Amino acid sequence: MAPEGTKAERQTLDRFIARYGVGQNEATRAVELAVIGGDWGANGYTTLAQADVLGQVLGLEPGTRLLDLGSGRGWPGLYLAKRHGCTAVLSDLPVEALRAGAARARAEKVSGRVGSVLASARHLPFTPDSFDAIVHTDVLC
Amino acid sequence: MLRACLRLLRPAGRTAFHTIHLADGLTRAQHRRGARAGPVAVACSRPHTQLLGAAGFVDVRETDLTPEFASVTRAWMESYDAHRPELEALLGRDTFVARQAERRSQLGAIEAGLLRRSMLVASRP
Repeated sequence: MAPEGTKAERQTLDRFIARYGVGQNEATRAVELAVIGGDWGANGYTTLAQADVLGQVLGLEPGTRLLDLGSGRGWPGLYLAKRHGCTAVLSDLPVEALRAGAARARAEKVSGRVGSVLASARHLPFTPDSFDAIVHTDVLC
Repeated sequence: MLRACLRLLRPAGRTAFHTIHLADGLTRAQHRRGARAGPVAVACSRPHTQLLGAAGFVDVRETDLTPEFASVTRAWMESYDAHRPELEALLGRDTFVARQAERRSQLGAIEAGLLRRSMLVASRP
């Protein structure tokens, strides 16, 4: 894939690729549980309570088609799919993050309705009108 | 990206997102400090409510999440410190120290009123 975006964006992507390349352990899970309120692989500022609000305002329910842009390891899209019974597409560039999300989807027994797409938010490979709801957390900044 | 999201949503579909941004009315020095302390694209030129409107979204609503942003940033720092040996072993000392320094800088910018975080909700007509 050709490099895209500004130099700063590419550097940020490299940082996230490096971050997601490092595994997790009991300490990272304990930290996330204490800070975010869950252990879904989050590393940002969206808490479990805030993710629940996102799900409410998006009106998620079984059958809703959700797209999570910059999903990382699946936060919050995978969590929202589990909680609300909707389908979800997780989309991001670091492939290790998407692999972690796919593994968690299998563990949560939702992989039949949660998919992953390796894609930049600049070039989204979906047809128009594909989704009922789109979520992203701290991607525009 | 917002125009792309509009295209991907069905009519009446909805987007909801969190974003970090600079506060309004900053001096040039404050703007520089906030931009350095925040994420790479934090110095967005226009408010996100305007960007959503320009992209074609309607029913745009913004909710301020800054107090929680400060408390979560502080919580990351404190929790990282509480698990320092295990996290240094996993990440390496340099990465651990660098992340804590970034968070400290970010928290300072939040507490100085330079960085804010919001939830935006909007619909496709």
